[in-house]
Amino acid sequence: MSSTHLVLIVEDHALVAKFYRMALERAGGFTCLVTENISEILEQVEASKVDAAILDVSLTGTEWQGRPIDGVELSQLLKKRSPRRLPILLATAHAMAGDRERLLAASGADDYLEKPVYDAQHLVDKVRRLLSSD
Amino acid sequence: MESFVQEMKRYLGLNEEDAELLRQMGPRMDKYLPGMADRFYAQIPLHPNAARVLTGGPAQIERLKQTLREWARGLFSGVYDEAYAEQRYHVGYRHVRAGLDQKYVISAMGNVRTYLSECLLLEYPASDERLRCARSLSKILDLDLNLMCESYMHATLQNLRSLNAQLEFANRELDQASKTKDEFLAHTSHELRTPLNSILGFTKLILDGLCKDRDEEQELLRDVYASAQHLLGIVNDILDLGRIEAGKMSLHIESLNPRDVLDSTIPLVSVQATEKALNLVDDTRRQKLPLVRADEVRFRQILLNLLSNSVKFTPQGSVTLRSDLASHPGFLRIEVEDTGIGIPEEKREAVFQKFVQVNVAQVRRQGGSGLGLAITRKLVQLMGGEIGLDNGAGDRGTLVWFTLPLAAGSATDDVRAKPAETTASR
Repeated sequence: MSSTHLVLIVEDHALVAKFYRMALERAGGFTCLVTENISEILEQVEASKVDAAILDVSLTGTEWQGRPIDGVELSQLLKKRSPRRLPILLATAHAMAGDRERLLAASGADDYLEKPVYDAQHLVDKVRRLLSSD
Repeated sequence: MESFVQEMKRYLGLNEEDAELLRQMGPRMDKYLPGMADRFYAQIPLHPNAARVLTGGPAQIERLKQTLREWARGLFSGVYDEAYAEQRYHVGYRHVRAGLDQKYVISAMGNVRTYLSECLLLEYPASDERLRCARSLSKILDLDLNLMCESYMHATLQNLRSLNAQLEFANRELDQASKTKDEFLAHTSHELRTPLNSILGFTKLILDGLCKDRDEEQELLRDVYASAQHLLGIVNDILDLGRIEAGKMSLHIESLNPRDVLDSTIPLVSVQATEKALNLVDDTRRQKLPLVRADEVRFRQILLNLLSNSVKFTPQGSVTLRSDLASHPGFLRIEVEDTGIGIPEEKREAVFQKFVQVNVAQVRRQGGSGLGLAITRKLVQLMGGEIGLDNGAGDRGTLVWFTLPLAAGSATDDVRAKPAETTASR
């Protein structure tokens, strides 16, 4: 285990992404990569540089092979492309009954975070738990 | 299936012999029929609905009496077939439509029956013959009563069916309204949560002392402030829309110089436009603008909404403001044209509806409540204008225009929106 973990954050709300980044970086032991650019994401993941990913479900700025891709699809793609185990946390405002099970099953993600996420510690705990199950 | 009239004839024992007897009675009874009609209609004014039913005066009564005489001639025709039944049904339907209750009509028919028995007594003094006639008459009157009750039942059933259909329709409308309300709530809750996420999250980071220095605290506080303003905007939009839909939006209509409103509004978006390196062009300066009749605050709100939409959805290029007095006589037309992402033709009506965007997620990313255009359209309509969308220049981008009535004088009056006007477009 390296001293700092690189957490990929794919989130189309700039302020939400900023909050994730600050929460993780201030807690210590994390550096964050905030991007919606799919080729950059794949490059980093395929090079095994990313230790964990937080993906928003509704992604508006992200396209893959000429069409929009959402967090569920992106999760499947990253799981397939990552040379090593990549824990994924799905963060979404889809918080209706049944969404959690449905989205986790469809995406293959490891855990699920309901928005609004405004407790920094809660977020950090979730990410740490995902990493420690390595 | 055997018809109702055949079935009842058999049940009542009304046979060909009776029919023949009634046929023979016909000419002898004919002179009593006007008296019978009088007897029947003497009771109608006592009907609880009489005032509502008998609005046609003496002419109507005369027509009704004529109908009743024809009905009585039918009794003595001896032909009790489908056509006879249908005619009888028709009378029943008319009574139901007119609102004559069955029970009162039955009792009036009872009166007619008594009257006809009295007539028999005069016409057939020999008791043996009278008895035979009375038996046949009784059978045909029973058949008639059955037909009448059946027709009442059918007419009532039909009324119920149509009432049911109306109720079902109303129910579907309510269902739809409730669904729309649910979607509105779900969407609103989502829209409110996003800025709250930043407000609560960043405040907590600051309170927990996780900021590096005062500058960073300041930066986060600015984010909190911006998010809170965004939240306020959403809350205001929701309140505005609620007010408009409840017909409680008060407008202060006066004669305004559009130049003043344009000049005070454009600077509010020029910062955002500059940040995105967009060219914000004000072509309205090319002509002297006449006074318009409008509410100043709402005029500015409309303009600001359209301008900031254009700035928001234009990644590069320009946003141009134009005025036009020729295309809508009596109105000032103001256009906002951009070189942005555009709105596909099939979505142009939809974007004026609540929370309907070309791409909901995109609007979310761009901020905004998703209510702006819905509110803008209603405000334009409340001020007597129109609003519409067209292609922007070169088939890219969007051109949105609205009109405001030109001022004839300079009087000031207040208009309170009526619910009917504001909901007509929904």
